[in-house]
Amino acid sequence: MNAKSLYLFMATLLVAMLVLAGCAPDEVAPEITEAPMPEPTEPPAPADEEPCLIIGALHGGPINDAGYNQAMHESVMQIKENIPCVKIIEAENVPEEAAATTTMENMISEGAGMIIATAFNHQYPALTLAEQYPDVVFEHAGGWEMSGNFANFFGEPPETWYIMGVAAGLMTETNKLGFVAAFPIGWTNTFINAFTLGAQSVNPDVETIVAFAFDWADSAKEADATNSLINQGVDVVTMHVDSPATVIGTAESRGVYSIGFQSVEAQQFAPEYWISGIGYTLGGKLTWLASTVIDGTWEPIFLRCGIADGCMEMAPFGKNVPQDVQDQVLAVRDDIEAGNVMVFAGPIIDQDGNEVVPAGEVLSVELMSAVDWFVEGVIGSPK
Amino acid sequence: MTLLSVLGVISTAIFSGTSLLYTTLGETIHQRSGIVNLGLEGVMLISASAGFAVTAISGNPYLGVLVAILAGGLTNMILGYLVVSRRGNQLASGLSLMFFGFGVSALIGQSYVGAKINPLPRITLPGLDKLPLLYSSLFKFDILIYLAVPMAILIWWLLFRTRWGLGLRAVGESADTAFASGRNPFVIRYQALFFGGMLAGLGAAHLSIAYTMSWSDFMTAGRGFIAVALVIFSKWHPLRAIFGALLFSGAVAFQLLLQSSGVQISPFLLDTIPYVLTLVVLIAWGGTRRQAAPASLGRVYQGSE
Repeated sequence: MNAKSLYLFMATLLVAMLVLAGCAPDEVAPEITEAPMPEPTEPPAPADEEPCLIIGALHGGPINDAGYNQAMHESVMQIKENIPCVKIIEAENVPEEAAATTTMENMISEGAGMIIATAFNHQYPALTLAEQYPDVVFEHAGGWEMSGNFANFFGEPPETWYIMGVAAGLMTETNKLGFVAAFPIGWTNTFINAFTLGAQSVNPDVETIVAFAFDWADSAKEADATNSLINQGVDVVTMHVDSPATVIGTAESRGVYSIGFQSVEAQQFAPEYWISGIGYTLGGKLTWLASTVIDGTWEPIFLRCGIADGCMEMAPFGKNVPQDVQDQVLAVRDDIEAGNVMVFAGPIIDQDGNEVVPAGEVLSVELMSAVDWFVEGVIGSPK
Repeated sequence: MTLLSVLGVISTAIFSGTSLLYTTLGETIHQRSGIVNLGLEGVMLISASAGFAVTAISGNPYLGVLVAILAGGLTNMILGYLVVSRRGNQLASGLSLMFFGFGVSALIGQSYVGAKINPLPRITLPGLDKLPLLYSSLFKFDILIYLAVPMAILIWWLLFRTRWGLGLRAVGESADTAFASGRNPFVIRYQALFFGGMLAGLGAAHLSIAYTMSWSDFMTAGRGFIAVALVIFSKWHPLRAIFGALLFSGAVAFQLLLQSSGVQISPFLLDTIPYVLTLVVLIAWGGTRRQAAPASLGRVYQGSE
């Protein structure tokens, strides 16, 4: 091949690549295009009004994942709906700590007075920056550290997992429930325990079988794990991974019921065998937090709120869920909202027969994040 | 262990081994022509995201597969320009291609994370459609699975029974000698990269469009590198690659079965089984590796004046 024809070929190739890349994001123009490191651009034309507060929000993954990031994105966007004078700068796909630091610094240099960091890995970068920028308020989703201008907020999923467990326990015929999880970390173990306790409350013979994928987004392995659970006789599947799409879609293709988690959008993947699901709806509390920042009354609080406060939401029931099951599940939900049911009230016995929560005591939220045991009836190893 | 769980391991091995097999076949062709492509991970990601995006837009999974195949071939042309035309180091160029793929695929797939697509339709094996859905769905395969083994045989035939294959292998053994006998190593290596890239694209298409029906960043999770290991494992032979891909994905399915059957072994440890197994086999077969590897694998062909 002589040089001329090679260059011609390369040019054709380059054009093809550009067309390929160009046509992809054609259909849905992303509403938020703030790159992790926004390049310095010309100052925007003076707005009609100065924003009353600039909020910088950053997410670990893509905000349209029908999972955790989408739920967090929608919660942040609700602030803007409720307080129109707020300006929101958002960055998605910031999973690493170093990138999170630069992203937050950029947001602050653009005038952000409040930072909302929603990924697990954002906690310590945000805490470090909180010391450097004492005038900026930092809120982290799900963390535990606190300082003068750093606090955290989160929904309380365990009690909603308990409700989902009730639904699963009533729907299962084989008395085996499946749980696909990413890693055996404290919160995941707590969710699995709450789900199992809920199921056992209506169906004492229920077992929950757990399979770990050891990745938050290895879809193929999630499909493998889902199939493996189904082949063990499981007839209800649920999950704690980034996006529920693959697990729910795989269960659907095998004719097995599923329960969603993270975002209530997950239902679209299971038109036939959907039971219900739970998702984060933190918009209301975030609006309140932002309003306290605006009027100067913000204080660092360790904010946890449950389904009764509107911080968690249940998805609609699927079409194959009988009315009496729906009624029973909703009755348990009412009990939880009224505070009549404590999910982790002792005595709670673990897999090995040890009493992990003594009678008369309740597992504290701090301990829930570090749970390394499974309750009786869970099959799988938590460490 | 029930019959269902044993059948399940076989089924899962076939389902998740298919993408590995196509990719391994692609890398076999690269390496037979003397090029180590460490950028496969990036090539797969670009193909998976482009194929998924096109499927989501057009609603036609076959069009998505076609685009994924082309994207794989074209992405590999970048490597071709670097290592064949510009005579760059193959390992470094391959790794840069991988990082390029990370970024480009995230960009292409950005709007389609969480999108719901029409997956490739699955066809039940004849005679199995009377079984309960739980069993029949185990062996309800898509067209790419049915074509995987015939494809391996086709590649074997191309490499070992055609003049084109002979030329390609000759370039991989000694580009200078091949040139002296009237072959053009540059053209042949470009062809090998294009063809191999298309195969990797096919594997990636199976991953996103057929098996998982989803796109997420870094969804290949190392399968591009596993394919490189499987090429060595199968001693650069397309038919042995079938065995390698099935063994690896079968091991993944097996460790998940162990996890979910309540074996009191740490899941962290169980998760390493497929990798340990690959390593053990590589070590056990290591003695004969030298004869199998193409002699000028990884060497830059400077051209013959």
